[in-house]
Amino acid sequence: MPQPKKTETPMRLDLPPPFDEAVARHERELMRFLLRTTRDHDDALDLFQETWLRAYRAWPKLESGAGLRPWLYRIATNLCLNRARDRMRRSRVIGDEEIDLARAPASSNGAHEGVLHLKAAIAQLPHNQREALVMRKFGGLEYAEIATALGCSSESARAGVYQALKKLKLSVELSS
Amino acid sequence: MKKALQPDELDPAIDDATDAAQMTDAAQMTDAAIDKMLRLARQRLARAITPIRRSEAHVGLIESPLGRLLAAESPRGLVALAYLDSRDAASILAELRQKFDLIEDSAAAARIGEEIERHLDGDDDAIVHRPIDLSLVVSPFQRRALTRLREVPAGSVVTYQGLAAAIGSPSSQRAVGTTMASNPLPIYVPCHRVIKSDGRIGNYGGGVERKLKLLRAEGFEVDRGDRIPVHAVYGHWQSRIFCSPACSAVRRAERKKWIIFTDAAHARGAGMRACKLCRPA
Repeated sequence: MPQPKKTETPMRLDLPPPFDEAVARHERELMRFLLRTTRDHDDALDLFQETWLRAYRAWPKLESGAGLRPWLYRIATNLCLNRARDRMRRSRVIGDEEIDLARAPASSNGAHEGVLHLKAAIAQLPHNQREALVMRKFGGLEYAEIATALGCSSESARAGVYQALKKLKLSVELSS
Repeated sequence: MKKALQPDELDPAIDDATDAAQMTDAAQMTDAAIDKMLRLARQRLARAITPIRRSEAHVGLIESPLGRLLAAESPRGLVALAYLDSRDAASILAELRQKFDLIEDSAAAARIGEEIERHLDGDDDAIVHRPIDLSLVVSPFQRRALTRLREVPAGSVVTYQGLAAAIGSPSSQRAVGTTMASNPLPIYVPCHRVIKSDGRIGNYGGGVERKLKLLRAEGFEVDRGDRIPVHAVYGHWQSRIFCSPACSAVRRAERKKWIIFTDAAHARGAGMRACKLCRPA
């Protein structure tokens, strides 16, 4: 008797993509994200490398491709925040702020000071709000993706960004 | 009370400010400049990853006459095969991921599935030539037991005790039992060919029904009481001579030194010659 035809639906395991494929797929947006966040060519290059190395080491923990992008952004964001924290600690000692000012591009109509002020205000935000804000505004992630990265609901990701923006607004208003 | 603003409807002032924060030389790089950066970044990343790079393993699912299987192949050979009704795919994949970068490859899995089908159709050559990789087996004892077991050909069986003796640990039959239960490569490393010393079939990781099905497909006739067949012959592991069960040599020598063939033809097929005393048929 002939064997009954097997079902046509292909059996898939839904594995995460191979690492190199993931690099090829996300390298450009991640580099842009790091450039925007660090505003420094060399820092972006360093953090790019560190992000992918960390991702590679943690790759065995990935069970599927779902949530890969927010996961990568979470690694990158954490690295950016660590670096910013280190810089701030150091700047308290050596007055980095002035060097920053000197190195910054010539600003038009005092926008420059606003930027510095905003930077400080962002640094003072609570951890989750700052991460949510950075991912949303600098990384351009969807709220659902931020939620996956932060391990919270879409609503709280949205609320986090909102609260962060509200605080920044207040801080900008107070300073002007 | 004022309606709460949505984040996207906030004052343009904030957006201007965040925009300003983004506006730097670095952020305004052209695609060409980013390309240049990426080329450099890729080279650096490749150098940094090389020393910690895991090998690749191709994994896929197989629909076989023995049920659904998961197969994984490393550059060295078949590294895992599992009955998915007795083991959870997620746990096998998690184990594999610790050592390998996994790539889904249904074509590779299908080739293994075809081999298994041919094997079940009685083609004794179907699975024996595929190289295997025992990377998932950590203990040297277990590696020895599984490697030695590959020498037990289709159409024959060996006892747990016999296999323990064959790797130089005659009293380790329990450890051999545990090794069989955790065999990462059933079918290819034929743990279904290991039976109890009293001639009963014993257990199998994929269930006794599969064990019987495999043994029967390989020509090893098992009767209804799960006993070894009456016309079985006993092959001596070292001397490569086979005898009938009644032979005085079989009675004298320790049982554990024998491979039990379903009949004389299978023993000859495995390169053994008949005993001149008992002249097994």
